[in-house]
Amino acid sequence: MSAEQGLSPQRGSPMTEATRDVRLIGRHLFYEQLSFWLNPIGAFFSVGFSVVFLTLLAIAGGTSKITFLGGVPLIEYYVAGFCAYGVMSVCFSNLAITLVIRRENRQLMRLRLSPLPTWILVVATALNMAIISAVDIIVLLLVGALAFHVALPAQPLALILVVLIGVACFSMMGVAASTAIPNQESAGPVVSLVFFVLVFLSGLYFPLAPGSGLLQISNWFPVRHMITAVFATFSNQPGIGAFPWQDILVMVIWAAISAVVAIRRFRWEPRRR
Amino acid sequence: MQRERVVVVDNLCKRYGNHTALNGISFAVEPGEVFGLLGPNGAGKTTTLEILEGFRRPDTGRAEVLGVDPAARSTSTELRERIGIVLQDASIEPFLSVRQALKRNAGYYRSPRDVDEVLTLVGLNDKADDRVKSLSGGQVRRLDLAVGVVGAPELLFLDEPTTGFDPVARRDFWTLVRSLADGGTTVLLTTHYMEEADALADRVAVLRGGHVVAEGSPKSLGGRDISEARIRFRLALSVDLATLPVQPTSREGETIEILTSDEIAVLRTLTHWAVSSDVSIDGLTVERRSLEDVYVALTGGNKVAATAEQHQ
Repeated sequence: MSAEQGLSPQRGSPMTEATRDVRLIGRHLFYEQLSFWLNPIGAFFSVGFSVVFLTLLAIAGGTSKITFLGGVPLIEYYVAGFCAYGVMSVCFSNLAITLVIRRENRQLMRLRLSPLPTWILVVATALNMAIISAVDIIVLLLVGALAFHVALPAQPLALILVVLIGVACFSMMGVAASTAIPNQESAGPVVSLVFFVLVFLSGLYFPLAPGSGLLQISNWFPVRHMITAVFATFSNQPGIGAFPWQDILVMVIWAAISAVVAIRRFRWEPRRR
Repeated sequence: MQRERVVVVDNLCKRYGNHTALNGISFAVEPGEVFGLLGPNGAGKTTTLEILEGFRRPDTGRAEVLGVDPAARSTSTELRERIGIVLQDASIEPFLSVRQALKRNAGYYRSPRDVDEVLTLVGLNDKADDRVKSLSGGQVRRLDLAVGVVGAPELLFLDEPTTGFDPVARRDFWTLVRSLADGGTTVLLTTHYMEEADALADRVAVLRGGHVVAEGSPKSLGGRDISEARIRFRLALSVDLATLPVQPTSREGETIEILTSDEIAVLRTLTHWAVSSDVSIDGLTVERRSLEDVYVALTGGNKVAATAEQHQ
């Protein structure tokens, strides 16, 4: 008997199947969102942490201006930088740690053994990351506008595009990173350390002057490009507000490399102990 | 017409580097049957299950679940609509409520069971609104089973389902599994507990070192049903053994042992003699080989195994 003959798939028309797929994505997304927001500590460290950090740096930085960026207020740089940080934190750190934990405690295995198609899981996970990132960015923009009088981004559509590419890039990096971490005990420390070093080198806490040594290093990594891409969408000034094609290109390359690593190395089941 | 076998494992081999996990095992599970896969750690149970669940491919041999290759991508979604799996040590999203966790999983299936009906079945309806993280170990295992059966599976894999249960919870769980089996669900069970296999399984296969070393019903495994019963009692040293109506197999101090294949007749004769001769026989016990005796003998236990071998 052939494999196909052994099953009665009960499939409907293409339209019915498409509607069902959309419903499955919506349902999985709904429960992912519920799981995320019902965990107050997790939600705070993913979203609230960037607001607290922004507030502390804004208070410390006061009304400074960045001379090598045409006198842009430092607080504007911080608001843009933490919007980028929010996306990276949610999509890279949070996703990588969550995947390792779910792999090691067999939640991924359980999902794999259910009839939920893998592509639906991937789409729902990407949408989940995008929604949490969007919430983080909206909160940061509101805090920036209301508490520190930072104008909303001058190029909102460009910001949305940059954020979507950032979500794709850093989510892929998160999945790829999860494949290199052996157990859930080391997931938090390893991911946090790597992320902190990259964010530090990339000038989140202090803008990097052109020609600085750190810039030479951080230009190789997507974190720097995410920060500058988001920052560019805040301004219409020539030079600063130019559409960040180069930054986007670097992120797309990192997304592609990470996708290859993720597809080759991803595991549903825990490592054999 | 012969009914389609639910699981077919035919000469399955699997190696990990230099280690041979499976060395040509074969067995089949019939529709509606509870089939137990027994064996010590490293015997190959988990590898067998992982192949049947589609996680691994065998090096050689054939595995078939509900008529298809479980590792075939073209049929994997449809196959998973028809099977349910209760994994060992698998977490459930801790911040969801019990009902939310079950509804989430029910939503993955085309024709799931009613969530409240399943909660009632596993005895968690009064915990439906509690967070998963607040459940006890036994309650989490019940939720595991609920997740495993919410898709109304034709075949249910249970991987050491009652490890860590107290005796009462274990018996409740058996009742639950039996009721599922009575409802027509085929069950493939792995367990370390021989009492569990004895209570639940219609047939068992014992694995050792990647081989099936025995297969049959728990009642007949290793010749349990035809082996001799052991009758033991204490008799005062002053009683002359020649007056006994049945000759003992051995005597150690006051303890008399008789091995027989017809324990009812021997007991009748013995008790009739004791009453009519006014002789006291104390501590009378009748034992047959337990499934555990047979298992230990088959899987290479030392002292107990030797005892069990002697009984064969």
